[in-house]
Amino acid sequence: MMASNTEIQIKENGVLDDTSLDVAAAESFLQKSMAIILEDAVKKAVDVRQKVCEWRSPEELKDLLDLELREDGESETRILQRCRDAIRYSVKTTHPHFFNQLYAGLEPYSMAASFITEALKPSVYTYEVSPVFTLMEDAVLRKIIQVLGWEEGDGIFNAGGSMSNMYAMNLARYRCFPEIKEHGNSAAPRLVVFTSQECHYSISKAAALMGIGTKNVIVVPADKRGKMIPSALEEQIKSAKNEGAVPFMVNATAGTTVLGAFDPIDEIADICEKYKLWLHVDACWGGAVILSNKHKHLMKGIQRVNSVAWNPHKMLMACLQCSAFLVRDKTRLLQHCHSARASYLFQQDKFYDLSYDTGDKSVQCSRKPDAFKFWLMWKALGTRELEHRVDRALVMARYLAEQMKKREGFKLVMEPEFANVCFWYIPPSLRDLPDCPEFWKKLHNVAPLIKERMMKKGSMMVGYQPHGGRANFFRMVVISPQVSKQDMDFVLDEIHSLGMDL
Amino acid sequence: MMEPTIGDLSDPLINHTEGQLFLHEAFKIIVEEVLCKGTDVKEKVCEWKEPEELALLLDLELRENGEPQERVLQRVKDVAKYSIKTSHPRFFNQQYGGVDYHSLAGRFLSEALNTNLFTYEVAPVFILMEAEVLRGLRKLVGWTEGDGLFCPGGSTSNNYAMNLARYRLYPEVKSQGLWSLPRLTVFTSPESHYSVKKGAAFLGLGMDNVILVKVDDGGHMIPEDLDEKIELSKSQGSVPFLVSCTAGTTVQGAFDPLDRIADVCDKHKLWLHVDAAWGGSVLFSKKHRHLMEGVHRANSVAWNPHKMLVAGLQCSVLLLKDTTNLLKKCHSANAAYLFQQDKFYDVNLDIGDKSLQCSRKVDCLKLWLMWKAIGSTGLEQRVDKAFLHARYLVDQMKKRDGFQLLREPEFVNVCFWFIPPSLRGKEKNADYQSKLAKVAPVIKERMMKQGTMMVGYQPLGDRVNFFRITVFSPLISQADMDFFLDEIERLGKDL
Repeated sequence: MMASNTEIQIKENGVLDDTSLDVAAAESFLQKSMAIILEDAVKKAVDVRQKVCEWRSPEELKDLLDLELREDGESETRILQRCRDAIRYSVKTTHPHFFNQLYAGLEPYSMAASFITEALKPSVYTYEVSPVFTLMEDAVLRKIIQVLGWEEGDGIFNAGGSMSNMYAMNLARYRCFPEIKEHGNSAAPRLVVFTSQECHYSISKAAALMGIGTKNVIVVPADKRGKMIPSALEEQIKSAKNEGAVPFMVNATAGTTVLGAFDPIDEIADICEKYKLWLHVDACWGGAVILSNKHKHLMKGIQRVNSVAWNPHKMLMACLQCSAFLVRDKTRLLQHCHSARASYLFQQDKFYDLSYDTGDKSVQCSRKPDAFKFWLMWKALGTRELEHRVDRALVMARYLAEQMKKREGFKLVMEPEFANVCFWYIPPSLRDLPDCPEFWKKLHNVAPLIKERMMKKGSMMVGYQPHGGRANFFRMVVISPQVSKQDMDFVLDEIHSLGMDL
Repeated sequence: MMEPTIGDLSDPLINHTEGQLFLHEAFKIIVEEVLCKGTDVKEKVCEWKEPEELALLLDLELRENGEPQERVLQRVKDVAKYSIKTSHPRFFNQQYGGVDYHSLAGRFLSEALNTNLFTYEVAPVFILMEAEVLRGLRKLVGWTEGDGLFCPGGSTSNNYAMNLARYRLYPEVKSQGLWSLPRLTVFTSPESHYSVKKGAAFLGLGMDNVILVKVDDGGHMIPEDLDEKIELSKSQGSVPFLVSCTAGTTVQGAFDPLDRIADVCDKHKLWLHVDAAWGGSVLFSKKHRHLMEGVHRANSVAWNPHKMLVAGLQCSVLLLKDTTNLLKKCHSANAAYLFQQDKFYDVNLDIGDKSLQCSRKVDCLKLWLMWKAIGSTGLEQRVDKAFLHARYLVDQMKKRDGFQLLREPEFVNVCFWFIPPSLRGKEKNADYQSKLAKVAPVIKERMMKQGTMMVGYQPLGDRVNFFRITVFSPLISQADMDFFLDEIERLGKDL
């Protein structure tokens, strides 16, 4: 029994003799809980013979978990059982049949780095508190900058790609009108940003937060492969200028969320140079291609952009969160834009080189050393292995798409460009219907039902969504190093098995 | 390099057995180096190295080829060795520190399950758990209903509060931006956290539009001055919309007088946000919660259990009194690929659109597990004990020569100057202040290079560098307090 039995000995005069912690009991608890974690959350979770999820309705789950927080503590046995329960009813995102999001799988080196981080609890604002991780973040950023093909650059790891995109918008705004930092948006004319209709919604959220306004996010149409149309971009820019607005940024996406499309960066860069706009590339999902000699052409032109957001926690499977923001700049723009120079944290009279205190570049104060999760796995695997994984994912996606073409009832939304394979499953009962509104209306109801069935069965998880006016379709995401072609075959078999009677 | 062929796709690339073995071994190192040695007073708090030297030792370069497991495990050891032992009983440098083993287990578990908290389908347990934890925390604030969210740090919580306050006043700002709105002003004290200013810049309001309200000697916002400054701002044609006050300021640990500030906010109809990132935990203590009397009158509260409650980075909440779904309305983008409306369960459980993050870590488990294990009573004892430690330190400092308190602490920040023998009695000297300012940095350098402990120092206003020790870790005892005082003396007596 732990602290629930422990009384604190407090003498009359307020002196405290002992710590309130029974260290031996604490360590024993930790060993036991870790054994459960390694067995249930790590080992079993990746076992294809186990379920991906143990579906329970919310009311049922609330009862099972007994979530209420009370006055008294509980026994060690009870707490360990709670750990088991939390694992049991959680979705196993590391399972080979979890394809629901743009992250999946287990990367053990990255996970070990996560555990170390949790044990050490550093905050990466100053060198004095976080010497190792400050240097590591810098090393990872430098390497990414090198891989991008930039001669110089800066960056920071953020709490997610949405935040990286916000930083890009903030820097672009600051470069245009540095006085906004002190005086606010009213020191500038109405600013507008351009992005494709397929972009991530964080662009819209960023504009709202930053006082720019979602209406001032101009949506540029994409072609039928989901790529931004550069001529349409130029038209929109001219149109905005005619209205008296001031374009300041273009957000291009390398690997869109649903279709996995890559905007034509080189052509967009031409336009941005012409109109002197900041070009940010949201490569949160597609950024991994820069490690691949075969596929990096998808991001051709990336050396010309101003900033990039990339999430190694997606395709490269670094543990959540691991989001990098890079800016091609050597004027310390990030520092100037964000700094507040708090004297209790960034004292100027420290005994070491203060340029190592990077915390003022961030809008966060406490910040986790997310770069370390990427560093350790990169060290363990090497660039070549990371490249191999990316290449394999795309070959796997191609295999899946080819298999779909061979099977009745599977219809691709488009040929995949990346690792998103979007398709409809058409149950036999609908296969003879002509291409008409009634057909699509019925088809729209198919995916949600199959999804419900797969989750209740626990056999796999694949996402679906309506998109661009199309009826609900599935989005298979192939991240891969732990999935094999048998798993791809399984997906097709299972979808058919779950949906054939619809 | 050969392109992978279909044949190669038959086997997974990841060898799980090897991976799990690595995790086992890494965990052993973590337990040994970080948890055992890292909390042992016989071991160092830090192993100081100059940046260039450390960079060489760590061999940071990322290369084409990978490395064998033994090499990677050695790297794990090196990371542990050269990192600061923030759980160490003599780590007093920040407002977080110490270790709680239940929250630690919760953290490991959160990492192992590796998921995002945006939808019920992907994180069923944690969607429900987060809601329950927020409810429990709101109850302590005095709210039976309300809203809230876990954020990646208190700065984000403060930014969200600012965004909500603005949106409540001008909902059109979400779509139209600030361009045609009048100048909006925020009020805070100079002792508040710098995230208020950073937030103002980020949100497009401008740092200059953060109006600083006077504080008294103890660092408490003066409500009368707040009222005056609001009136002044209005008279200049600006629109005040938010007061961001602090419960537990960063340096001095001062608690702004919430009730009286709430009176001012009520009068002027301003959103009252309480940044209780540091001080919020007093709400667990029947003895000390009076410091936050009036908090229930606020619109929003930021609170970081990763600070005094030792939940581990990061664990930060934003609590809201609102019951009109303001958070979701303000932040939502209704992305159809994530928040489908035709799911087979109640889609109101998909709370991801309340956040400005897309991927969002599970930060509630660490707090929930710890709270379950030791109960509110256990957390209360932790808070009360911290106050007792602080009181002990203060009493001891008064008995010792050379320790001069800034003032009687209100909380668990004990701010003091160490006056080396050579300067004692020389307060009237012209260069006294400038000499005193140099003392803390040197003592800090010495303590870090020797690795015996870590405590922060800073200047504040016109007061030259002084130490700020924060005492709250469950691992510390009286012996550590005594050591602290002895060590400061030892390191500084020859200055």
